[in-house]
Amino acid sequence: MHLALLIGLVVFSVLAILLRDLLKAAISLAVASIFLAIIFFTFRAPYIGVFEISVVAGLITVLFVSTIALTKSEGDVKENKLPTFIFPFFFIVFIIIDILVMKSMLGKLTALTGSAEQRTFGEVFWNQRTFDLVAQIGVIFAGVFSVLALFRNQGKKDE
Amino acid sequence: MNSFWFLNMGFVAVLLFIGIYCLLTMKNLVKLFIGIEVIAKGITLALVATGFAKNNVLLAQSLAITFIVVEVSVVATALAIIINIYRHTGSLDIGKLTKLKG
Repeated sequence: MHLALLIGLVVFSVLAILLRDLLKAAISLAVASIFLAIIFFTFRAPYIGVFEISVVAGLITVLFVSTIALTKSEGDVKENKLPTFIFPFFFIVFIIIDILVMKSMLGKLTALTGSAEQRTFGEVFWNQRTFDLVAQIGVIFAGVFSVLALFRNQGKKDE
Repeated sequence: MNSFWFLNMGFVAVLLFIGIYCLLTMKNLVKLFIGIEVIAKGITLALVATGFAKNNVLLAQSLAITFIVVEVSVVATALAIIINIYRHTGSLDIGKLTKLKG
């Protein structure tokens, strides 16, 4: 089950980069996000699963589709066909190397020390990682102001 | 570390490879950003899988949520820049961004 979900994630990620139609690529990325969210649910991590579905599969896909809609008319770029054709070769070579490396490392790495958590997610998120929340608010404001600044300059030029 | 963690890390490496391949070979700005998104998915999976292997999922979740918030902010800004580039150059081709070329 878990392996099938991981394979689905990889397949849709590959489709997202290889499909020529940008809209289909963005939708493939959203489907890959849904696979990732299901994987998170199997890890017993429901909060990040919900976040992945709502924010990454939802909001980011909407942003991508809006951008594609705003730039579609003449924005078609002639991609070189060679990278698409040689991708399977490199992909298979990489997977073989990946399997060999992971097999060689299996059992050599010492287990990370960790004990079962007794607290709730709320305690960890609001109490232990409080400083992260401050940083998150700063990042959100930075994003909002940068988008506003970029579109404001454009509006002035149009006038 | 157990074999389940190695399985997840193997797939994380594959996702990173897909994203980096896209960044190295594609010309379309939106495609390049899709490549960055694929890399971000690999990183999120690595965070949560390691938290699961360490029996510390709650902390991993809070870190991954922080990462996703940063990711959304970066995506919004980058897509706004891409739209501006398109309005300036009339194309999404990265090869046409030669104004800063020395």
